[in-house]
Amino acid sequence: MTSATVVARKPTAIEGLLRSGLYLPNLQSKRKSSVLEELVRALVPAGVTRHPEAVLDLLGQREALGSTAIGRGVAVPHARSMVIGERAVLVARSARGIDFDAPDGKPVHLLFLIVAPSMEHDPVYLQLLAEIVRAIRLARTRQRLLDAPDFASIQEVLTHAADE
Amino acid sequence: MPPMSEQLQALVRLQDIDFLLREARDPKIAGQEARLGFAQENLGPVVKARQRLASQIDGRLLQTYERMSRKFVRVVVAVEHRVCQGCRMSLPTSTASRDSSDVTLENCQNCGRILYRI
Repeated sequence: MTSATVVARKPTAIEGLLRSGLYLPNLQSKRKSSVLEELVRALVPAGVTRHPEAVLDLLGQREALGSTAIGRGVAVPHARSMVIGERAVLVARSARGIDFDAPDGKPVHLLFLIVAPSMEHDPVYLQLLAEIVRAIRLARTRQRLLDAPDFASIQEVLTHAADE
Repeated sequence: MPPMSEQLQALVRLQDIDFLLREARDPKIAGQEARLGFAQENLGPVVKARQRLASQIDGRLLQTYERMSRKFVRVVVAVEHRVCQGCRMSLPTSTASRDSSDVTLENCQNCGRILYRI
């Protein structure tokens, strides 16, 4: 008689952070700076920060170091700050596309804003970046994210893609 | 709780930029980000932004921050549940205050870090 072995699935870092209040299905802004502003504004009602201007300033400095657009229509702006109360991932889409200084020159349609408190050692922060990069590497995943009708679908696609 | 003074806000921003620059200059951390596709090569504009911000901060306060930066990675730290997030010591109900020109700041009585209430 054989017994089935159930291997517990290790939860990804991203799935615990996805929240419907941090989802912008269709960004209105066209320019990179105003898009960042639109993203950061959404962090306030979600309770992630009370100082959006400081977060925006820091994200701008991070972009000055080098664009966080990684090509194939995806950008992952990210920063750690004293004025961030908790780790958060905000998912946003732009139907028209945004010039985000991407290395391949293509407009960005999918954005993942990652913010976290500035702790000296935070391996989860880097893990989040890695999970998102891994999740969006396949064209079919990116398309599913762009076609997702609601936040629950986005959540499902990202959770499974980050796990693959 | 009173709003953060403009000086403390500027100090928090300065520390955030310092941390950003430190990571961008750290071959291990910058390398990890680069492997994921995130370049951090253009330090010049950020260094200039740091200089501009530093010039807006009270001289004595900036000096204190720079001096303490040699000892601590984080000079300005958050207070959560009356615990200093720098040294993890509980703070008394009334923490020490220090005046620097017109800026009143709180310091942790144990480690001396500048306290910031999120």
